[in-house]
Amino acid sequence: MTTLAHIPQLLVYGIISGSIISLGGIGVSLTYSILGFSNFAHGDFMALGAYIALGLFTLFTGLGITNAPFGPLSFGFGFVLAFILAIALTAIAVILIDRLLFRRLRRSGPVILMMSSIGVALGLRNILQFFWSPQPHYYSQAIQPAVSLGVLNIRIKPDELFIIALAVVLVIVVHAFMRYTKMGKAMRAMADNATLAQVTGINTDRVIIWTWVIGAGLAATAGILAGIENKFITPELGWQMLLSIFAGVVLGGIGNPYGAILGGMVIGISEEVSTAFISTGYKPAVAFVIMIIMLLVKPTGLLGRKD
Amino acid sequence: MSLLTVEKVTSGYGDMEVLHEVSIAVDSQEIVTIIGPNGAGKSTLMKTIFGLLKPKSGRISFSDHEISALSADRIVRLGMAYVPQVENVFPSLTVRENLEMGAFIRSDDFSGRIREMYDLFPILGRRGRQQVGKMSGGERQMVAMARALMLNPQLILLDEPSAALAPNLAEVIFERIEAINDTGVAILIVEQNARQSLSLSDRGYVLASGRNRFTDTGENLLANEEIGQLYLGG
Repeated sequence: MTTLAHIPQLLVYGIISGSIISLGGIGVSLTYSILGFSNFAHGDFMALGAYIALGLFTLFTGLGITNAPFGPLSFGFGFVLAFILAIALTAIAVILIDRLLFRRLRRSGPVILMMSSIGVALGLRNILQFFWSPQPHYYSQAIQPAVSLGVLNIRIKPDELFIIALAVVLVIVVHAFMRYTKMGKAMRAMADNATLAQVTGINTDRVIIWTWVIGAGLAATAGILAGIENKFITPELGWQMLLSIFAGVVLGGIGNPYGAILGGMVIGISEEVSTAFISTGYKPAVAFVIMIIMLLVKPTGLLGRKD
Repeated sequence: MSLLTVEKVTSGYGDMEVLHEVSIAVDSQEIVTIIGPNGAGKSTLMKTIFGLLKPKSGRISFSDHEISALSADRIVRLGMAYVPQVENVFPSLTVRENLEMGAFIRSDDFSGRIREMYDLFPILGRRGRQQVGKMSGGERQMVAMARALMLNPQLILLDEPSAALAPNLAEVIFERIEAINDTGVAILIVEQNARQSLSLSDRGYVLASGRNRFTDTGENLLANEEIGQLYLGG
């Protein structure tokens, strides 16, 4: 019974981890549906964002910019500023990578693009290791006590509530963008049929840039949130999460950003809840098993299209 | 000077040449039909005109612009629109969103144009919020045509607009094509089963094995026995 009593708490851990996986998954899903390839560099975009935030945060601390914590959270103004700028800089870096590499290979087909994304992944990870070493780095070493929610013995840290809240807000913003803005509609149109989008006069190059802005921005956010949750970052941070992210994207229906959100949440929760029954070391295997079962049973995913 | 002039264009996919020195012309406000058997190169010709395939030789010009080397997104800005034979709508978007995408490059208020499209295709007006992927073939064809008309083109290319439609629906589509033409838009149609299309065309071309075979007025082509037997199914 002790195991079962832990489940509500594990569920909460799962929601936290699922929030981060979902934010990563939206970008993978958009890249897949609009640019037509599986981007294996997405995890390393997350790490890039986490390290840019670290670099800026270190710089701001050196400049004496205050980081007095906001209420119960572990960080303050300096970190939030670094967070926001890191999102923008990651998006710019990724657009540069697209201009230098992916754009030139666009006509070569999805396999070449996927292979080149593996190259980008390795390159980025090694650049991060070169500058910051493979050793872990910390945003903050302060210990934050978890607070009780008062139900089912669930305890959660204020930072973790922030992670969930930010993920929810960003998902709503992305939804509104895709649903109601001209560019969001053009992204959905291009995901439907890229040739027809071009024939229609849609500026497909601009759609691609926006796809990277959203994908890379959310990747940076996910990377930084993972750093807040884990308390440390390493250059491997994103790569290690990529399996869970892909599993979530496949589970939800590849190419459907809403599926990626749902799938990421299911994977995050499954991974955490599984630790009540099997060793923590099997967490990645849980994601893998779910992905394989989904591919066997319903390859189009939970929210996948029929065609 | 014709609105669209295709001069001795050779084109195809990779090393495979499908069109051999094909020439056609479309004047302002004309309806022109290209007929020919399966594999004659009709769709290839459409794609080449619209910049989706680069001609290997020959010239294409449209309203005083040489367009042989332009890409589709540039050509659409010159006032030409293209409705492919298949996959010619954005299925996950609503009817209205499809029309908005048709007006993507317009920065002015195009709600009036959407109303005109709803007048032209009343069924679309009643289903503006419906997802196009859930609509019938005939309705999708109307969405595709309305989408292409959003930029007020001078010329619209229709690739087999009645293919896979029931005869009564095909009739509705052709009747709408005439209505579009009445607003001053020139129309170039490619058709396999072309009697209906030729009957409303000013002129027609017969294409076979990627070469020009005949050209005449729509009426004369319909009356020509040889063409009737060879290309119009007797």
